[in-house]
Amino acid sequence: MVATAPAPKPVNAELLADVEPRFVKVREFLEPIASRCTVAPGFNSPEPNRIDVNIEAGDLLTAASAFYDNHWGYLAAITGLDHGPEEDYLEALYHFCGGAAVTTLRVKLPRHGGSVPSIAERIPAAGFFEREFAEMFGVYPTGLQDCSHLFLPEDWPDGLYPLLKDTEIPSPKTIASMDGLDKPIVDQGGGRFIVPIGPQHPALKEPGHFEFTVEGEIVVGASMRLGYVHRGLEKATESRNYIQNLYLLERVCGICSHTHASAYSNAVEQLAGVEVPLRAQAIREIVAGLERIHSHLLWLGVAAHEAGFDTLFMYSWRDRETVMDLLEQITGNRVNYSICLLGGVKQDVNYAQADALRAGLDYLEQRSRHYYEVVTTDSMFLQRTRDIGTMSLAQAEYLGALGPTARASGVVRDVRVEAPYGAYRRFPVSVVMDTAGDLEARFKVRLKELFVSCSAIRTILDNLPDTELTTRMPRRVPAGETVSRVEAPRGEAFYFVKSNGTDMPERVKVRTPSLCNWTSVLNQAIGRQLADVPLLIAGMDPCFSCNDRMVVVRDNSMHHGVRSASSKGDAHHTEIWTWEKLRQYGIDFYRRGGNK
Amino acid sequence: MTQLSERWKEVIGKVKTWAFTNSIYVVHFNSGSCNGCDIEILATLTPRYDAERLGVKLIGSPRHADVLICTGPVSLQARERLLRTYQQMPDPKFVVVVGSCGVQGGVFDGCYNVMGGVDTVIPVNAYIPGCPPRPEAIIDGIVKLLGSLRSPAKAVPVLNPEGKVS
Repeated sequence: MVATAPAPKPVNAELLADVEPRFVKVREFLEPIASRCTVAPGFNSPEPNRIDVNIEAGDLLTAASAFYDNHWGYLAAITGLDHGPEEDYLEALYHFCGGAAVTTLRVKLPRHGGSVPSIAERIPAAGFFEREFAEMFGVYPTGLQDCSHLFLPEDWPDGLYPLLKDTEIPSPKTIASMDGLDKPIVDQGGGRFIVPIGPQHPALKEPGHFEFTVEGEIVVGASMRLGYVHRGLEKATESRNYIQNLYLLERVCGICSHTHASAYSNAVEQLAGVEVPLRAQAIREIVAGLERIHSHLLWLGVAAHEAGFDTLFMYSWRDRETVMDLLEQITGNRVNYSICLLGGVKQDVNYAQADALRAGLDYLEQRSRHYYEVVTTDSMFLQRTRDIGTMSLAQAEYLGALGPTARASGVVRDVRVEAPYGAYRRFPVSVVMDTAGDLEARFKVRLKELFVSCSAIRTILDNLPDTELTTRMPRRVPAGETVSRVEAPRGEAFYFVKSNGTDMPERVKVRTPSLCNWTSVLNQAIGRQLADVPLLIAGMDPCFSCNDRMVVVRDNSMHHGVRSASSKGDAHHTEIWTWEKLRQYGIDFYRRGGNK
Repeated sequence: MTQLSERWKEVIGKVKTWAFTNSIYVVHFNSGSCNGCDIEILATLTPRYDAERLGVKLIGSPRHADVLICTGPVSLQARERLLRTYQQMPDPKFVVVVGSCGVQGGVFDGCYNVMGGVDTVIPVNAYIPGCPPRPEAIIDGIVKLLGSLRSPAKAVPVLNPEGKVS
């Protein structure tokens, strides 16, 4: 098992070869903008794969557009950074990722009453990031259409911005008023109705509230309200030490808990300058692979359930227990494995466990092959997936989709390949792609990823490096900033961590893949039958506890490139009807012969 | 005559308890959980653990449910939806909390958007701690609740629609 570990590759040379040409291009197109900045002109490179560019707030839209005009990467996140009342300024960090390179636009702002121009018109994915930033720091982007609460409750006190350093938040029990239940406006006039779904609903196991505007059976508008599982973790990290945060951040999401633990560990280890032993890196990737298998099988079952195919749901969940057993054998827990330590891993993989893994993977691979055959040949199932929710390559890039959702549309976007971290440098994986872009393609991509994960785990097991499991980790982490990107089962998870030399982080920013994928789902829903909506939502594998934020409104007047069903009536016309009037409308509607 | 009707009342009561405790309909509400408990609840209902053999069935509407299974601490935005879901359930109704954070706030205790455990909002009949509890523990919790319903000595109080013990 231990014998022949491949010789470690010169990681940095490879990394530099990838990022250098990218940075040359960035310097080229950002030079005129950066030179206009009066605060601190020029480019800084705090880490080999990162470059920071200070710009004036007024130049933001030009600078952000330049990335897209030059086809340089995509907007990964907007981080707000409060430097506290003493230094008395805020910073808005716009992170753009291209390959392994991360370019950060830094805009300096006053702590109160600052403003930045909105870039959401140019980059739709930024809409959510901007609203989160506005809500958390009180910086409202000018030109942003919807500034309502993103993931704080409706009755959150005005002027209370949780992530400002000196904000004292009153006890939640005093904020909570038990009234003010939301009142859905069902009829939109012009033959349009809203179908409200959630937060408690039978299909998805997590709370989210959707409102689909329908004309007959056709969806013409979609909006959503999340934040039901917003807990305030980013703030909580600032009052816990690095080790406590590891266990807190693991519980950002119970499905991809290892992703969050490893993304956070990687970030803290980079800040501390600690190199994780090779065996520990390999074990982390074994667990990451098993987690991907469990997550994709879970998704397959839930998605099949949405399509009314409960047999497949039950079978896939039965087989998922195999991988749960393997996870339990290695880590000691079925969910929230806590295998990561800062500087290593907690448990070793012994010979017996390796053999159990191999046997389990053989079975899972065989079953996955069967499921692949089912979802690509079952004619009833294909009616629900083939050519439904099709997203073109251009749309996927424009809307900022990530993970399997993007890869099913032909976007090559996988952090494990683009910016290999941990053991992926020594044990590379291949990207699974499809070009069809419909729901069937998303099924195919995820199922094929099961095979890739199985073979990747086998390779690691055959070449498990023989080193220590942990290395010494300082309790206080030197001051600095870093970015950590990890490929979660749903797409890229992005972490920004700033340390200040103490044993607690100054700022931890978490951006999860589901947040980036919502725009694409809502756009796909428009023009489709209402019955397709559950499967479309399930198709991106949403994870509410990961993103727990935002409201989106996409009306057919606003969205791009998707056929709209019809556009009679004024989309923005709203009228409140009584129950009696609605009932009478229904009777008249069907007496007339429906939606003719 | 009165005696007979008393006797009948008792018999009918026994039949009701028998029927109730052998066909529990549960509805699931996530008020701020990390998903860990939710996927374990789902695992409890799928073939390996198969809670349906105990008569436990997951349904979509709170209006048909006997037991509300709650996961996660209560976030500010979820609190009134949780209360409303609870109020929509017909009597008699029971609440089971799954997971440490639903019991007391757990790892999220002290976060600014978290009220605390589920019992800060609605009355709770059974607590199943763990992060997350194993499916076996969830089954055990439900079986214990059912057992307490069957045996009058350990009767769980019946709650009125306002959530007060009647």
